[in-house]
Amino acid sequence: MTATFNRLWDSRYRVLVLGVLAVGLMAALPNFIDDYYVFLGCEVMIYAIAGLGLTVLMGWTGQIALAHAGFFAIGAYGTAILSADGFPWPVALVLAGLCATASGILVGFPAVRLRGFYLAIATLAFGELVQRLLILFASVTKGNLGFPVDLIDVGIGTTLTLWYVSLVILVIGVVALSQVGRTRLGRMLRAVRDIEVATGALGISASRYKLLAFAISAFIGGIAGGLYGQLVTFLTPPIFSLDLLIVFLIVVYLGGVLRLAGPIVGAVFVVLIVEQLQDLGSWQRLVFGLILVAIIRFMPGGLVSLPSLLRRRQRGSNSTGGGGLLAEPAPVRVVDAIPGGTP
Amino acid sequence: MGQFLISGLATGSSYALVAVALVLVWKATGVLNFAQAEIGLFGAFVAWFAIESTGANYYVAVVGGMIAAAVLAMVLERAVVRPIMGESHFAMLIMTIGLYVTVNSLTTLIWGSAGQTIPSPLHGTLHLGPTLVADVNQIAAIVVGAALTLGLTVFFRSRWGVQMRAIAEDRVTPRLLGVSMGRVVAASWALGALLATVALLFQTQATLLNNTAAADLIVKATVAATIGGFASVSGAYFGGLALGVVETLAGGYISSGDQSAVALVLVVLILLVRPEGIFTRGRARQV
Repeated sequence: MTATFNRLWDSRYRVLVLGVLAVGLMAALPNFIDDYYVFLGCEVMIYAIAGLGLTVLMGWTGQIALAHAGFFAIGAYGTAILSADGFPWPVALVLAGLCATASGILVGFPAVRLRGFYLAIATLAFGELVQRLLILFASVTKGNLGFPVDLIDVGIGTTLTLWYVSLVILVIGVVALSQVGRTRLGRMLRAVRDIEVATGALGISASRYKLLAFAISAFIGGIAGGLYGQLVTFLTPPIFSLDLLIVFLIVVYLGGVLRLAGPIVGAVFVVLIVEQLQDLGSWQRLVFGLILVAIIRFMPGGLVSLPSLLRRRQRGSNSTGGGGLLAEPAPVRVVDAIPGGTP
Repeated sequence: MGQFLISGLATGSSYALVAVALVLVWKATGVLNFAQAEIGLFGAFVAWFAIESTGANYYVAVVGGMIAAAVLAMVLERAVVRPIMGESHFAMLIMTIGLYVTVNSLTTLIWGSAGQTIPSPLHGTLHLGPTLVADVNQIAAIVVGAALTLGLTVFFRSRWGVQMRAIAEDRVTPRLLGVSMGRVVAASWALGALLATVALLFQTQATLLNNTAAADLIVKATVAATIGGFASVSGAYFGGLALGVVETLAGGYISSGDQSAVALVLVVLILLVRPEGIFTRGRARQV
């Protein structure tokens, strides 16, 4: 028995076994916890799905793009409006996801020309634009009055339904992306990040793959948005403000963008912190900010860098820095070589 | 038209000052300081508090607010930003986002979320032409904005200013020549905080001073700085003015609800056509 276990543990099926166990646990969990925790669990899964979308864009192709709250909003409103128009919910969700994809391609066009910082600003502007448009087209979205969402229920209650739907979509997302990551497409996307200069000479159109990354990311973001509508049950434009984008960025930052498990870790962490701070009342936001600042100050590589940070500490070296999250090579600090020149 | 131009320039002056502050910090530290406008809001609230509680003179209170903001900025920079310099862009960006949340909630915690007004010592209107009337406070915003930017340009020709420009260009050689990088970076953050405080004071003159006043301004200022190419102080300044004028014109001639949307569409178009900004001469793109 132990031998079988060890062989299984060492084999490449380890991830599969752990994954199946985790999914089984998640499927059984709502039987043992409060409704409130089921709600929080849904929130975690939805943030994790949204984070998966950002992982494709930021982790795979290395583009810092800040339009994700916009895609999320399009998905949320799209799903709610289409299902209010009589489309079955799953159809509405996919159609809204496709709308988000279309807008992702639209935003992606500047992305082909812009890099780094400028890309971040252009996409930030898009996210804000979506929010303004939601208010502007009040005849469709009901603007600041808010749009009530039709809740789905397969006969087990709305919260439980959302739990299982989110779980299924999260699993599909992780499995699909991990498979895509191994294909030629996945390698191309990472090549665009690591050796963009060389891709042209290799006959790879970097722009096409960047656009594709935007499309995939926007689709996943839109789907997550559709689920989020079920969670909040009432949509208003301010939900999709800068603060939501900040939550997404923190989710992917804490968990790391280089592994698909990253956004899940980040989402659990963010929801748990916010939940723990609930009792602090008006101090909640300040403490959240301070925790965030402290984490980045002492773990600049995010939570994923913790193991390597601890290992380094054990070896007695006190250098910090868990390595660039976006796989940027660490800059050579000539400064450190100059005596008395440390700032 | 003239009326829109004046109120556009007045609004734009606030955008411009925060944009200039962003460029200063960007050049010294290499990070987009998301907390820039929030630091200015903190300073503005200190000024308001000084007037409200001690009945201080307006100008004394404003100087006090500026100093408070500068001290806050220098403390934050030294304590949490400088130690992670050299980490990935993403980590540094998230750090300033963390500061944005922290400083905003600190302000909210101390002074609450109710709207406040700072009584301006200036009253009255100016007749600039047969049909053109401007509020003195609008003129003050335009003049002070221009004067501060001009002053900064002159400052950059001084010994200190040259050191700051040198550090922005090259991190190693100036230090071999004895320029203290730490001091230059601290000075940039302090200067940025002063400018942001002035910007927030003007911005909240027309509306109310409350804890959400800075959130909108940071997006506008970032857009303005990007229009200006994010590299030059004058570029950021004119970017801010242009954004303010376009927004006000759009609000006047199209519809008042559209003005922000128009500005945002504009920035995306500008970035598409000229990713290096419109107020810069052609140069190699920084990545």
